[in-house]
Amino acid sequence: MPLVSTEFFIFLPIVVVINFLVPRKFKYVWLFVTSLFFYASIDVKSAAVLVISIAFSYGFGLLLEKSKLNSATGKASKGILAFAIVIHIAILIACKYLNFIEKTILSLSGRGEEAVNLNLLATLGVSFYMLKIIGYLIDVYRDDLIAEKNPLKVGLYVSFFPQITQGPIERAKNMLPQFNFPLTVDYDMLRDGILEIIWGYFLKLVVADRLAIYVNNVYTTPEMAVGFTTLVATVFYTFEIYTDFAGYSHIVIGISRILGIDVMENFKCPYLASSIAGFWRRWHISLSTWLRDYLYIPLGGNRKGTARKYLNIMIVFFVSGLWHGAGWTFVVWGILHGLFQVIGYVLKPVRDWCVNVFKVERNAFSHRVLKVAVTFLLVNFAWVFFRATSISEALLIIKNSFVFTPWMLADGSLFKHGLDNADFFVAIVGLIIVVVTDLVNYNGFVIRERILKQGIWIRYIIVIAAIISILVFGIWGPGYDSSAFIYQVF
Amino acid sequence: MKKTLMNIIKSAVFLCLFGLAIAATVVIVKRKESDYKYTDFFNEAKKDHIDVLFMGSSHVINAINPVFLFEEYGITSYNMGGHGAMLQATYWELQQALEYCTPKWVVVDTYMLEKNIKYLDNREEFDDEDEVNTSVEQLHLNMDAWPLNNLKRAAIDDLIQDDGVKKEFLYEFIIYHNRWKYLNESDFKTITGTADRNRLFGAEMRYEVELEPEKYPEVSESDLLTEDTVGTEYLEKIIELCQERGIPVVLTYYPFVADTKDQAAAIRAGQIADSFDVPYINMLDLDIIDIYSDLNDHGHLNVVGAKKVSDYMGQWLSETGDLVDHRGDESFSYWQECVDNFNEELDDTLFSEDNLYIKLDLLGLEDYNFVLYVNGNSPVFLDDYLKRMIRKSSMSNKIASTSGPYIIVNDNSTGYIYEACGSEELRAMNTAMGTLNYQPVEQYFRLLYSDEDPDTNYLYDEAHYLNDIQLIIYDEDGDVLEHDYYKSNGGNYVR
Repeated sequence: MPLVSTEFFIFLPIVVVINFLVPRKFKYVWLFVTSLFFYASIDVKSAAVLVISIAFSYGFGLLLEKSKLNSATGKASKGILAFAIVIHIAILIACKYLNFIEKTILSLSGRGEEAVNLNLLATLGVSFYMLKIIGYLIDVYRDDLIAEKNPLKVGLYVSFFPQITQGPIERAKNMLPQFNFPLTVDYDMLRDGILEIIWGYFLKLVVADRLAIYVNNVYTTPEMAVGFTTLVATVFYTFEIYTDFAGYSHIVIGISRILGIDVMENFKCPYLASSIAGFWRRWHISLSTWLRDYLYIPLGGNRKGTARKYLNIMIVFFVSGLWHGAGWTFVVWGILHGLFQVIGYVLKPVRDWCVNVFKVERNAFSHRVLKVAVTFLLVNFAWVFFRATSISEALLIIKNSFVFTPWMLADGSLFKHGLDNADFFVAIVGLIIVVVTDLVNYNGFVIRERILKQGIWIRYIIVIAAIISILVFGIWGPGYDSSAFIYQVF
Repeated sequence: MKKTLMNIIKSAVFLCLFGLAIAATVVIVKRKESDYKYTDFFNEAKKDHIDVLFMGSSHVINAINPVFLFEEYGITSYNMGGHGAMLQATYWELQQALEYCTPKWVVVDTYMLEKNIKYLDNREEFDDEDEVNTSVEQLHLNMDAWPLNNLKRAAIDDLIQDDGVKKEFLYEFIIYHNRWKYLNESDFKTITGTADRNRLFGAEMRYEVELEPEKYPEVSESDLLTEDTVGTEYLEKIIELCQERGIPVVLTYYPFVADTKDQAAAIRAGQIADSFDVPYINMLDLDIIDIYSDLNDHGHLNVVGAKKVSDYMGQWLSETGDLVDHRGDESFSYWQECVDNFNEELDDTLFSEDNLYIKLDLLGLEDYNFVLYVNGNSPVFLDDYLKRMIRKSSMSNKIASTSGPYIIVNDNSTGYIYEACGSEELRAMNTAMGTLNYQPVEQYFRLLYSDEDPDTNYLYDEAHYLNDIQLIIYDEDGDVLEHDYYKSNGGNYVR
């Protein structure tokens, strides 16, 4: 049951209405049942893996809690935690990485073509819920959280249906208390949630899926597109992945809100970041903070000297790349982000020297714009590896992007890659709306809240126009696979 | 409590407005071809104005013009033909039509009787992918206008195999929302009910002339269609449906350049008609059309062919069908309006047409008078196609044996046709323009003048003396409506 499907649009209102009627203390039961149903509707076998993972996480959580009480040294707890993490990573590898490992080993001996499918199951969202589980167990181990005694609540935390396929990778200490004391959904929460959902679908269907047509066309046959056509594809992909994933996150936040659950924010205008580190504080926040809290800091963070800090950054981004996909292109993408940061730190004295010599006003608008632009270009560059199916394809795309053909912006070449001029126009208008919205959000102006403060007729007009725009301009229906979100496959 | 009530009211108002906006959007973005074709069907069926339904494929769409039938015979009919419609689609179309009216006659064309394809989206049954896409696309023309109800669901279930494709027919918005970039004035006028609609009661007239119709071998015993097909099954269902409802039905096979399997299908249709004791008109065996001038392409009639076939059917229905002549009946004034409208359109087409073949063909259809002059040694005398068209007007073979100059004066007002070639002169021609005289003086100088105005030479114009073809169209009052000059470029005549 994809989030863009008739079934889901029937399923959601039923879930919301019944959730509204169910007594507060039983809401988690209803949400757990619906979450399992939602996931099983995608794939029953994957649901079995999910249930096993929930059982493990519940059991290991209790075991950790018990061992903490029984062991003063904490060695037993450490052992249990390590074992639990190994078990869950083993499940993750079995579902996602066996092919990759096999292919890599065979490639080393020049037999890459002989690789067969070894992955046990193509389990949707496994990367996301495994991180949730591991985070939960570490929190219990660290005494940040008391292990949950109610298996259904653990189950709901892991499987909460809006988050199961693409996150956000919510923390147990944020979610579990909400299951104990759920919010009562009032009219304002409902309106707010619905607006958030509408914005999410706009980003996904009108912008991301439209840009995807162009991007897919260019990336499918990169040798056929040279120059600005390719450059535009790389920029479009940068926005496609943002609007796709952020769109999903908005839908999740909105759905959660109308179910009375508060979910963490996952994006904060990431392309307005002025450094790569800043970008990661704004992009996929639930993942980057997870990696910070459960990997970077345990590795020593920046407490063990500069060299170790740089190594830790590289390890974190290597893991991040690998987490995103079982392929070397993702690893390169992660390493690039690590390198950007390390190089940024190494060159900091040089940058500071330049600023002093040229008397650059650090807070000047022009300087900020320059930093944002450079960061955007670096991120854009790295996305090429993320999108390409192989490193050689990524290099070809980059090479083609540097061919100087500005006339392609005017001679109609851009309209030969799946988007005609009308669709291209809508894509650009959509991008302008996204950028303007991010700019005003960046400055603390939340458009959604402003809309809600307007008179009833203006609100109605805005909401109806927005939904009609999504229905009419959205890329959906036969001929388009708009149901799949990019991050769903990770 | 008061707050909750207010919230419920506000939500209800919002949902109503939202529903209206969605409904309007669905109507605006919907593809209009089907509505365009059937709007007048719904309007006229509601008034019980439809006496005859013509069912079938695009052959019907192009062969039967209800406007001709009303103008000439006072018969009110609707052309329900669907592009690419096989007989199973025709069957369901008839079922749906009968929900709205009970005609006095149903005329079913049996083209594609031999087709043994059950589902219109079954890729295994078609020769290539494009054919399936076309088949599904064309079914939208037949289906989109009908409201969503159990009958439509049953029809789609029967015609379409794939569940996804079925949804496209039942909930059209899922495909038509993408039409936003093609919206035009008419799409928005649908909201107010003032959108364009087919004023030919479902027919479409074509104006090209097929100059090289192929000839196929006559059907032999071994080619006959003996086994039952999906086509024969549904033809029988159509007849049974009509007979159950007490509606007389006549089967037809409209004329075109039929290949062997078409001829075999036409014979089988006759056998089915016999077995159900219903009349059958196989126009492949009747000398109704001239395949050299009345076809738009190999399979479809042009407007001239349509006139002939409509005339034939009009006459048959008038004699056999016990139908009321509605001409002059005030309540059928809309039909007369459509007749006038079509005649104007025909005039516009005639006068705006640059193609000499089509122009001559249309002149044969209209009552206008014309003079056609061809200069000596013109390439026209090597063009068998054009000579054939001219022969049709002159009803003589004079053009075949001359290298020009040549002139034909076709005066419908007086009923005379005058023709001359070589050094022949024509004197005292009785025409609507007066008493005309023709005299070829020399290669680039020729005279055509009337006794009433001897100073006006219609055939000479200094600016056009090198043009080898002249066409003068004039009306019954003798007023020249058009005076065209053409220059031959091989078979291409440039106005």
